[in-house]
Amino acid sequence: MLFNSLNFAIFLPIVFLLYWFVTGKNFKWQNVLLFVVSYFFYACWDWRFMFLLMFSTLLDFFTGLKMQNVKHHNQKRFWFWLSIIINLGFLGIFKYYNFFAQSFADSLAHLGWHVNPWTLKVILPVGISFYTFHGLSYVIDIYYNRIKAEKNFIEYAVFVSFFPLLVAGPIERATHLLPQIKRERSFDYLKAVDGLRQILWGLFKKIVIADNCAEYANMAFNNVDDHSGFSLLLGALFFTFQIYGDFSGYSDIALGTARLFGIELLQNFSFPYFSRDIAEFWRRWHISLSSWFRDYVYFPLGGSKGGMLMKVRNTFIIFLVSGFWHGANWTFVFWGALNAFYFLPLLLTNNNRNNLSIVAQGKLLPTVKEFFQMTITFMLTIIAWIFFRAENMTHALQIIGKIFSPSLFSISMPYITQTLRLAPLLAFFILVEWLGREDKFAIEKFGFKWHRFLRWMFYLFIIFLLALFMKTNETPFIYFQF
Amino acid sequence: MKHHLFIFSFNKVRVFFKTILLFFLFSVVVYPVYILVSGKFPYKQFTPNLSYIVGSYGHMYSRTKEVKNITSPIDILFLGSSHAYRGFDPRNFSQYKTFNLGSSSQTPIQTKVLLNRYLDKLNPSLIVYEVYPGTIEGDGVESAIDIVSNDVNDFESIKMSFKLNSVKVYNTLLFAYFVEVFGTFEKFNESIVKDDDTYIQGGYVEKKIKYYKKQTNLKRENNWQLNQVCMNDFSDIIKSIKSKNIKLMLVYAPISSQQYHSYKNNVFIDSVMNSYGVPYYNFNQQVLLDDSLDFYDPTHLNQKGVNKFNAKLNDLFMNALHKK
Repeated sequence: MLFNSLNFAIFLPIVFLLYWFVTGKNFKWQNVLLFVVSYFFYACWDWRFMFLLMFSTLLDFFTGLKMQNVKHHNQKRFWFWLSIIINLGFLGIFKYYNFFAQSFADSLAHLGWHVNPWTLKVILPVGISFYTFHGLSYVIDIYYNRIKAEKNFIEYAVFVSFFPLLVAGPIERATHLLPQIKRERSFDYLKAVDGLRQILWGLFKKIVIADNCAEYANMAFNNVDDHSGFSLLLGALFFTFQIYGDFSGYSDIALGTARLFGIELLQNFSFPYFSRDIAEFWRRWHISLSSWFRDYVYFPLGGSKGGMLMKVRNTFIIFLVSGFWHGANWTFVFWGALNAFYFLPLLLTNNNRNNLSIVAQGKLLPTVKEFFQMTITFMLTIIAWIFFRAENMTHALQIIGKIFSPSLFSISMPYITQTLRLAPLLAFFILVEWLGREDKFAIEKFGFKWHRFLRWMFYLFIIFLLALFMKTNETPFIYFQF
Repeated sequence: MKHHLFIFSFNKVRVFFKTILLFFLFSVVVYPVYILVSGKFPYKQFTPNLSYIVGSYGHMYSRTKEVKNITSPIDILFLGSSHAYRGFDPRNFSQYKTFNLGSSSQTPIQTKVLLNRYLDKLNPSLIVYEVYPGTIEGDGVESAIDIVSNDVNDFESIKMSFKLNSVKVYNTLLFAYFVEVFGTFEKFNESIVKDDDTYIQGGYVEKKIKYYKKQTNLKRENNWQLNQVCMNDFSDIIKSIKSKNIKLMLVYAPISSQQYHSYKNNVFIDSVMNSYGVPYYNFNQQVLLDDSLDFYDPTHLNQKGVNKFNAKLNDLFMNALHKK
């Protein structure tokens, strides 16, 4: 069941009504309802993988209890590693086994030994990277005595499987979400309206921006030979908007939906394309994943406490692991490495924490310097996204090669004319995002000082754009494959 | 305490629903204004899901205008896609009174709409239904928009739009109602000659003579995939025509041999069409045509091809109309 589907438009109001009117008297019943509907939501993709989700949830729940109840540290360590190995084992089998088997066979082929690796014919269970990371953070936090193990299975299961975040995050923390699940929730009118606004903006990002940009990005990426360097660069630009619209759109819908149920999820995006350097970009892009790697990989590795060499090593590890998390393909690893290289000069010159504030805070326009910084950062991300989008390294290098060739100055009019229809949409999108960059999402406070009639006209205008630009087919979110 | 909290929430949820209801009512009034304004916008590429084009490709406007002026029963009614309105030339059937209700990419969903609108009025003795499988594959959206934009809309249009459940059809239908209310639809004047097309009285469109250049690498690798919604309407149409005791003939007009043989399941299509208990003729097997001389594209006959094809049809019509 996709967020941008008719099924979800029916599912959400029904769950909302049941939640507040039928189970509203007791938050424990509300949790039971959330547990049931979340599993139903997941089963709509493939009911068989529901058992995998249940197993993963049970595993972390019981290992959490065991770790807390055992007397000796060795026993605690045993349960900890059991959970880590099984969790990562499942992730490894479903997501990475074929990749490693094929890569191993390819390596042998280079040495002249040709082998046919045994590969698994399984589809990737949707959301496995996300719910595995939920479970891992929970187990690690218990192991390091940061939190107590949850004793109520339903409450823990809702933490792992809460339907808005189940398939593509944000990657929540037990310290943040579990306390909300464990207490009574009252309906907050302002938060609910705010949630609807965020859902609306998320749908706009996905349906209008991402899906329409995807058409032209695919055109360029799927037919590299037919396009000039300029068209390929334009295609990469469209993918840059597509990936942002798609993923941050999903996150907005997830956060908005959760808010309707009185639950606040972690912010996942904070206008990353208005970043002045790559360090700022990574503080604003997929925040829940970046902070997860920071807390559970970077800090345990020593973080920035050691010397410069250690800092560089840890930074590279984080980016490579983060790239690999996205998928079993060398393109993702290279994408991570490229971002690490972008980051390196800032790290070496100790400038990686320069831009902590919001760009042009309290002002309408950025300074020339800020504009220049944002443009450079944006261009760097466009180049990096080429690796993220490409089918394989050869494909990516072919695109990069063509972009950095004289054909960059060869303008293909049919492609540009076709893509021109997106120009006003992108202009509107960038303008609204820029004006709302100091808030949690672009239209959070947009038009708050206007008369209600005008504000509603604006919301309806966004709905109208959805109706005017939506594609006939429901298109899945990119991050579902991760 | 818990009960109080619930009452508190309950009241707030009620206010929330009241706001949503108000916004919904507001939308019902204001959304059409947005449609009206954007429908007037001349650059259609900026309004992809609002595609109102009166006088569009295929002369549908002229066809629906002409059908409204027919006052007496006809002998033969042609139905189907562009293969119908570009394949059955009334000048080749001058001994009969004919009308062609074909429209671009017409699927059975649209055929049903047109029959509900015009069948009683035309009261034909014979219906010739062109059954190019490509039209039974489609979702019917483009054809629906063609009909919505070029005919006066009634309850049939609303039923069709719900069946297709496409936002593009909804938007276009809403704008079409505005155009009709403001009276601009009636005032439109479609030119008889447009580019290479000439509208011929009786619903036919003649294409300026052109020849198809055969493709070199067309492989036999496709399968027709019949759309179930279309097939259901197709069955309904046949039942409805049978119940009115009107003679019916299913005709698969010729497409280029190269194109025809690029599909692997032609025998299956023939068996499906033969299963309805009405005469079915696949002219891809029956008329000797040359891909390079008798077609202007892979699936459409040029005028020379039409004349050859129609000559074969005349014998069939003679038998069908004079046989009790």
